[in-house]
Amino acid sequence: MFLLRRIPAHWLLLAPALLFVAAMALFPLAYSFVLSFREWKLARSVTPGDWVGFQNYWYLLTDDPDFLEAIQVTSVFVVSNVLATLLVALGAALLLNRAGRINTIARVLLILPFVMSPALVGISFRFFLNGEYGIVHHLIGLAFPSMVDTIWLADSTLAMVAVVAADVWHWAPYMTLVMLGGLASIPKETEEAARVDGASAWAVFRDVTLPQLLPVISIVLVLKTVFALKAFDIIYTLSNGGPGRSTQTLAYFVYETAFNYYDMGYAAAAAYILTAVLLVASGFYLRLVFKK
Amino acid sequence: MTIISLSHIDKSFGPVRIVKDLNLTIEDQEFLVFLGPSGCGKTTTMRMVAGLEQPTMGEVAFDGVRINEVPTQKRDVAMVFQNYGLYPHMSVAQNIAYPLKLRGIAQGERDKLVAKAAERVELGPFLKRMPRELSGGQRQRVALARSIVRTPRVFLMDEPLSNLDAKLRVVARAQIKHLAEDLKVTTIYVTHDQVEAMTLAHRVAVMQDGVIRQLGAPEDIYNDPADSFVAGFIGSPAMNLLPVNAQGSVLQAEGAMQIRLPAPRPGALTLGARAEDMHLANLDDAHFQADVFTFELLGDCTMATVMVGHTLVAIKAQKDLRLRSGERIGVCFDPQRLYWFDQSTGARIRE
Amino acid sequence: MTAIAHPNATAGYQASAREQATYWVRQLVVIVLISAILLPIAWIFLTAFKTPRDVYSISSALWFTPTFENMQTVFQAPWNLGSKIVNSFAVAGGTVLLAMPMATMAAYAFSRFDFRFKQAIFLIVIASQFIPAAVVVLPYFLMFKEAGMLDTRTALVLVNLSIVLPYAVWMIKGFIDAVPMEIEESAMVDGAPRSRVIWEIVVPTALPGIITAAVFSFTLTWNEFLFALIIGKQHALTLPIGLIGFRTERGDLWELMAAGGVLITAPMFLISLLVQKQFVGSLTAGSVR
Repeated sequence: MFLLRRIPAHWLLLAPALLFVAAMALFPLAYSFVLSFREWKLARSVTPGDWVGFQNYWYLLTDDPDFLEAIQVTSVFVVSNVLATLLVALGAALLLNRAGRINTIARVLLILPFVMSPALVGISFRFFLNGEYGIVHHLIGLAFPSMVDTIWLADSTLAMVAVVAADVWHWAPYMTLVMLGGLASIPKETEEAARVDGASAWAVFRDVTLPQLLPVISIVLVLKTVFALKAFDIIYTLSNGGPGRSTQTLAYFVYETAFNYYDMGYAAAAAYILTAVLLVASGFYLRLVFKK
Repeated sequence: MTIISLSHIDKSFGPVRIVKDLNLTIEDQEFLVFLGPSGCGKTTTMRMVAGLEQPTMGEVAFDGVRINEVPTQKRDVAMVFQNYGLYPHMSVAQNIAYPLKLRGIAQGERDKLVAKAAERVELGPFLKRMPRELSGGQRQRVALARSIVRTPRVFLMDEPLSNLDAKLRVVARAQIKHLAEDLKVTTIYVTHDQVEAMTLAHRVAVMQDGVIRQLGAPEDIYNDPADSFVAGFIGSPAMNLLPVNAQGSVLQAEGAMQIRLPAPRPGALTLGARAEDMHLANLDDAHFQADVFTFELLGDCTMATVMVGHTLVAIKAQKDLRLRSGERIGVCFDPQRLYWFDQSTGARIRE
Repeated sequence: MTAIAHPNATAGYQASAREQATYWVRQLVVIVLISAILLPIAWIFLTAFKTPRDVYSISSALWFTPTFENMQTVFQAPWNLGSKIVNSFAVAGGTVLLAMPMATMAAYAFSRFDFRFKQAIFLIVIASQFIPAAVVVLPYFLMFKEAGMLDTRTALVLVNLSIVLPYAVWMIKGFIDAVPMEIEESAMVDGAPRSRVIWEIVVPTALPGIITAAVFSFTLTWNEFLFALIIGKQHALTLPIGLIGFRTERGDLWELMAAGGVLITAPMFLISLLVQKQFVGSLTAGSVR
């Protein structure tokens, strides 16, 4: 215990968390990295196989149509997801940023979709879109009679729409709360000064509110991109990556390769490509937040 | 040419009535100051002139035309906010140019007007800076420049000096006075600082609790206060206000003290006298005697303070006078400069 | 003007027809928004109390006789949601109990001390939240297999701990930053050693933030799916995994799934509504100022 006195306090305080992160994050990361350079089909052998250098990566990026499709699916999913979330969150925040009982009720409800398990959200939307008894399917059929007979999850485009819609339903309300926080931090005097100067409501928004909201919008943009890239639960339960592979994002691809095909080395390589993309995205996020 | 009329203005926020049946006409080119403690409704009233708040009842008119329903951006007023309201993402020049940009004035013309306004407040070299790079005083001048870059009908200022340090405040005050005289625009100025009110105003509206207690020129407010609130609010140091009971030819004050002065009527009164209208005297000639509580060397005079019951009374004396704490001294009033108020209502009793 | 009620319609201000119309359109859109949030949730709750027949027909969407049978069935074999609830509580509770002290200590160190590599180490801890589950799930699987810990709740706690720590450290650091140094300094002047200062002064003051982080961590763990899927097999199964057990070869047993959904969601709704104010700021603390 005498030894403990000699160690600076901050290291003692940091030790548990740091050691844990090292063990449970850094070490597995390194392990996966190494694994991605080997071939290992779990069905054949219990231990990793030969070293194949960059072969896994090479195949993935040039020869594997499924992987390339996964990249395409991921791009579509992420871009549409992030844009939709941003628009909904910004619009809803502007709408709800006033006093009033209905607005207050709405603001309280905003946290609910976020705390629902994404797995449950996926299951629920799958239920709602069912061709015979799904409530959303039914309501859409009432509004657009031509869609009464469509099977949502059998159509690749509609399945993507469903998956994006479910994820937006899950996340946008929370992002709205974040935006509301951003709006609250804008000094009211700047908006009032603009009105006095002669600005219409639109001019106030365009010239004064929006520029001051830019930092928060950036945060939402980058954060949602990261979460969209990581999304798995909701896709697994809603569409299972289907129909075919039309909603199979990179994250899902890794899962499939590892736990359906048991091709571990290959999956590790795919996972690392996904990690690389995420690192870039998270780099933006950290830079934005740490600019202080 | 803008005359502002406020008729029967009432403003409530929920159950709280902030402004109560306010009536006031502000003349063209007049510099009117709303003076009062925080919460008295002065800022709310000015914001109703700007259109940032709507009256619950009553009418606001410019030159006889009702403007309650006219939105702020169309009222052609200019306003300097307490925290300046500068656009943080725009440079000084862009801040000042914004009202012109909104009116579609061409770039060249804009630049000229901006330069002129900046010159007026001595901001010339700062045009390219961002607000966060400026000191408090500089930011305040940007806010001023932005409001004078065009000629508004009405000029509104919400405690523009309250965030400046004391020395800067004096300089800025002079600048504002000079500016207002130059521009010849009807101006409303809100403050809780009575020195600003006294030095800047044509007329002062002293407000308390949503009501105008007195409206008049600074010297009238000073020399002829309408009630004890106004009397105690104006002047530095504040007027001495003593609760007394008039009995016969003598006043019973707190602390079993007697003041040898006749009162206009018997009963519970408040006696008001300014420190500069009182003097120290021999114990025998004095109106009353008391022990010195403190005395302060103010440079140009000495301020002696005595305790009458629970009230501190300040008396101005010559600058070379020295006293000892606890020393008994005699205090005299100037009979020509006494103010009497009803003790319960605070209303002024005029003889 | 028109006779429709408008909040600004007083004797001091008469809103134009256009303003009134705008007001009502706004209200309508807000109601649509509220419905969009509530409809799915309400539908699941309704479905949990329907018989299978009612579930599969639209006509009895709103008018049906409720039954508690589903809620009973899910607790029986082979679903055994009861044991899964216990597991979920155990794993989430265990994670939070371990995470809070670890995160608080680390957050304090980051907030109050200056040392070499502080920025870098902080970045690493925070950035670990960006590691996709996909890339670590494999090593975890193999690690636990090696240690014979597959299908244990302990393994799940460890995994969730690694998910939750970066968020918790970030949130709590934000709250500790907001505790004025003067409080600690006067405690030290009074003679308290650093450990007591942390435990008796800083923690109580930053408690709202620690609770927020705890609730957030609990939520993440409670809803965690992928790792539970991979690591749990028979014994260490949590509620989310229980949910997909209702997808059988015969078809999806929606009414039972909904009942499970109610069980998994209700506690989260209650907790989140209680602490909702602080929930939001924390995730982006420091960026929205």
